[in-house]
Amino acid sequence: METEVSATALLLIPVITAFVCYLLKNEKLIGYVSFAGSLVLAGVSVPVVFAASSSPVQLMGGALFMDSLSTYIMAIVIVLGFASSAYSIGYLEHELKVGLTSAIWMRRYYMLLHLFIFTMLLVTVVNNLAVLWIAVEATTIVSAVLIGSGFRKRDLAIEAAWKYIILCTVGITFALLGTFITYYASIAVMGTEGSLNWTDLRAIARQLNPSTMKLAFIFILVGYGTKAGLAPVHNWLPDAHSQAPTPISALLSGILLNTAFYGIMRFVSIVEPSTGTAFTGNLLILFGLLSIGLASVFILVQDNYKRLLAYSSIEHMGIISLGVGIGGPIGMYGALLHILNHALSKPLMFFASGKIQAHYGSTKIEKVGGVLTSMPLLGTFIFIGALSLAAMPPFNIFISEFSVLKAGADKGLWTVIGLFLAFAVIVFYGLLSGFGRMLFEKGIEKDVVSSGFSSCRTTRIPNIIGNSVMFFMAAAIILLGLHVPSFIDGTIRNCIEALGVR
Amino acid sequence: MKNWIQAFAVVDFISVGILLTAIAMSAFRRLEACVRTYTLNSWLLSSLIAIVAFMIGETHLYVAAALTLITKGILLPLFLRRIVRQMKVARDAEPYIQNALSLTISGILVAVVYASLREGIFVSGFSKYVLQISIAVILIGLFTMITRRKAITQVIGLLFMENGLFLAGFSLTLGMPIIIELGVLFDMLMGVIILGIFAVQIKKVFTSSNLDKLTVLKG
Repeated sequence: METEVSATALLLIPVITAFVCYLLKNEKLIGYVSFAGSLVLAGVSVPVVFAASSSPVQLMGGALFMDSLSTYIMAIVIVLGFASSAYSIGYLEHELKVGLTSAIWMRRYYMLLHLFIFTMLLVTVVNNLAVLWIAVEATTIVSAVLIGSGFRKRDLAIEAAWKYIILCTVGITFALLGTFITYYASIAVMGTEGSLNWTDLRAIARQLNPSTMKLAFIFILVGYGTKAGLAPVHNWLPDAHSQAPTPISALLSGILLNTAFYGIMRFVSIVEPSTGTAFTGNLLILFGLLSIGLASVFILVQDNYKRLLAYSSIEHMGIISLGVGIGGPIGMYGALLHILNHALSKPLMFFASGKIQAHYGSTKIEKVGGVLTSMPLLGTFIFIGALSLAAMPPFNIFISEFSVLKAGADKGLWTVIGLFLAFAVIVFYGLLSGFGRMLFEKGIEKDVVSSGFSSCRTTRIPNIIGNSVMFFMAAAIILLGLHVPSFIDGTIRNCIEALGVR
Repeated sequence: MKNWIQAFAVVDFISVGILLTAIAMSAFRRLEACVRTYTLNSWLLSSLIAIVAFMIGETHLYVAAALTLITKGILLPLFLRRIVRQMKVARDAEPYIQNALSLTISGILVAVVYASLREGIFVSGFSKYVLQISIAVILIGLFTMITRRKAITQVIGLLFMENGLFLAGFSLTLGMPIIIELGVLFDMLMGVIILGIFAVQIKKVFTSSNLDKLTVLKG
């Protein structure tokens, strides 16, 4: 009963915060209200997450379902939502000062930010796979407005938002077809009253018709794969991530991609028992490798650091897909840990690069130099984040990538591993040469525009909040690289069990 | 009445009508004509659902038919027409391929779908052609989205895809539970409204409603 109340509160709090933010007229206060809202959300979520991560919880007659995988993704959504709303205070204050946004768009921004968090939470708690689709499509719609937000001032943002919503909606249409086909398969087994509840489908997964489920899975993979940024349907991703407001880029990259991939993981666990692991595994490995390879090439030639980060997201989604595809407990462990690690490193980098963009007034790598000397704290964050993203030991991403590699080696997939390693080397060089240049190269003379940008700094308190968020994320990156805490380790093990990976 | 519906193969006629409106849309250049074909397509879809509901006596399908009629048949066409008038573009720009060719390609798409689904992975209760037709409509919608330049025609292509998808879902499972249909329709409505607003903004920002201008971001 208690869990039921707090789970309902979990879904209600972001909605309430959204409306309060929209109704508030005070520009100074609104950021702090949104910050408080996400703080309350984080507080309420703690007991629910702990209750559901050990034993699955079903609420409202089975409409809501939370197991360890849901809570794992949900916890990341909440933590990143918190970080983003904290960072947003300073970011929007700066945007308002330099005239890139207006007061009305600021209110809309905060409302949409919390609605965005709500839709992502909804993805993680629903049991019905069609409702899952509705929630994923809702994330697309809300985030498209966020990407284009304040589009009167930014011409390119509207181009990015248009590409994003068109590509993702078309892609996700196929996922709905896949869902229909799954429903059809369940009717064949369960009689006229078929079901789309994941728990029911999981129970009858072995009896589902393999060829129907194969067809369904292909549509699902194309649909949610588009949203998860898997190549070759990733084209929207670099545009959207580079043009969105910085806190939204962090959310898009850190967790939105993963909520779409969460859909794929749920489907894998009901498709696999009837078709065998080879079918889903090979498809995921294929798209994973394709994403890593394609991203590595673009990372090598990229001259825009925000797009560099976006392509790095494609690479990391590829690694997650590869981990799930290789499968087995170790591969799955690597993939799930990678979701968390990437959700820490990438938002840190986006937050830091947002500050750099505000300071230098450009997103070109060559226009930025000597960050480590001019802004030592920010430079250190970028240094840590870049090393982590390049999978340098002893940082966190090294551990999860190594787990994926180990799973591949155990299964003897030497071609896959060889290609993966080759691409990883290219990414390593591309990322570190790009960010190395920004960090260490001699500072360049600022032009008039950029000095205009840097003259209006944010006030102190938002700056401190933003910096401390980045500090905690950097600390988490280092600590997770040294040791995976037992509660994270335990949750991931429960997830592997819940998905039935052997 | 039921015998009459079966004797004259009304279901098949309506589904062929859905296919023909999709093909016609792929050839029309005037935007208002495209919107009108979409309206017709949605009405046909809704009446198909209603007739099947009558034939098998499922009351919840009437609700689905009504919902389809309200959202796809009335609200969306009205909204689209407003957007088209607001943007003051009557015709689509020169498409990437000519009308005759796009008609031919639509025909080829239908033939390919028909040939590849002839064996029938699925057995649908009320007509054996509906699944083929729905997949063909999805592909024609996609094809239109690829070959047109106006933002609004892309949205219309997307809507045709979604109509095809609804038809496919309907032929496979006789529709989803009402609450889910409601959610899907709501998402679609919101998505199209946002797309419409963006399309107007594109026109304002790029001083053209052609999507050719959207090529700054790449690489």
